Amino acid sequence: MKKRFYPGVGEGRKMNNEVTPEYKKAVITLLYQLADDDYLFSYRGSEWLGLAPHIEEDVAFSSITQDTMGHAKLYYTLLEELGEGIADSLAQLRPKEDRCNSLLVERPNGEGYYKEAPNYDWGYAVARNFVYTTAKKAKIDALKASSYAPIREVAVKISTELYYHKMHWTTWFTQLCSATEESRSRMLAALQEVIKDAGDLLSFGKTATHITACELIESEAAIKERWLAIVTPTFEAVEIAIPLLPESIINGRNGQHTDDLTSAIETMSEVYRSDLAASW
Amino acid sequence: MEKQSFYQEFEIFSKRTPTSHFQHQFSLLAPNGELALVMAQENFMRREPVADIWVVNRKHLHGLTQDNKQALQRLDNKDYRTTKGYGYLKKKWRHYEQVMLDEKEILSWGGGGKKDE
Repeated sequence: MKKRFYPGVGEGRKMNNEVTPEYKKAVITLLYQLADDDYLFSYRGSEWLGLAPHIEEDVAFSSITQDTMGHAKLYYTLLEELGEGIADSLAQLRPKEDRCNSLLVERPNGEGYYKEAPNYDWGYAVARNFVYTTAKKAKIDALKASSYAPIREVAVKISTELYYHKMHWTTWFTQLCSATEESRSRMLAALQEVIKDAGDLLSFGKTATHITACELIESEAAIKERWLAIVTPTFEAVEIAIPLLPESIINGRNGQHTDDLTSAIETMSEVYRSDLAASW
Repeated sequence: MEKQSFYQEFEIFSKRTPTSHFQHQFSLLAPNGELALVMAQENFMRREPVADIWVVNRKHLHGLTQDNKQALQRLDNKDYRTTKGYGYLKKKWRHYEQVMLDEKEILSWGGGGKKDE
């Protein structure tokens, strides 16, 4: 093994003296990006509860959302083991500036609020889920070869459930893009909305070079290639040009966020903050 | 174009009593659904009691490919989807009820104390 930092499976969790502080910092930075993405994305999914086009999809979508929350928990738990604090608090209490999620996951589901006239667009939900899930797969596939053993283990776990998530959203995406003229034009519009926000989705922020140098994950360019390989068959099947990911306007990986994130954090942590000492 | 053949494959389902579930039993070849039904009864259900029969043309069955069976994997972190995931609630209730009872008792002591004075 020529890799210098290579905690073996099982002992990696201890974060013992083999790893330098710089390496640990890179691990933590990457973990926050992965955790916050899945956490926020799961929250947006939960806001669809009871609103999906039919009851069967409502249940399936909710199950996927629960899975995704479980994935976020796996990452937050690794952060807890690295001394960052309690996993629940990391998820619930960190302010906007400390979050590392991408712009795409903090966008609201549409006009209105969950409890008040939610006028959400199912086409946007399908397009966002398709793009997010395929991007997630590109990363998870790469993370299976991470130099940090606990991340490798988590990536293997997550990929078991991700297979179904990708199958689910690819089916929806393909069918809505090719069902009727109306559904196709709405999907094209929705896709455009999603891609507009996807500039930082495959970014690792300002520490990207360091993260890649530590061999925690491949370079941003390599991940983009993986993503293209994953989505190309689907876009070809529905005869839609593969969208170009734009340059990021703001980069969530560097703590740049919109006010949509502020209100999302407020809502989702309301109960947790109401009694910090409670054991749930 | 799919090759047309006279005989087609049918999957046969039946139930033993009017209230039981349909269960998959066998497959057979028949030119159409009506014939599949009458074949099913005499070929496979001559000895067992049977309350109803369904026949389904195999081409109408949607199944998972070998590859897609991966979709069925899930992580063992979903206790909240089963009743056993809520087993801890009983203990929690007992704890809170105990706390409430204790408070009541303490309050009643306070009342008693006043009387003594």
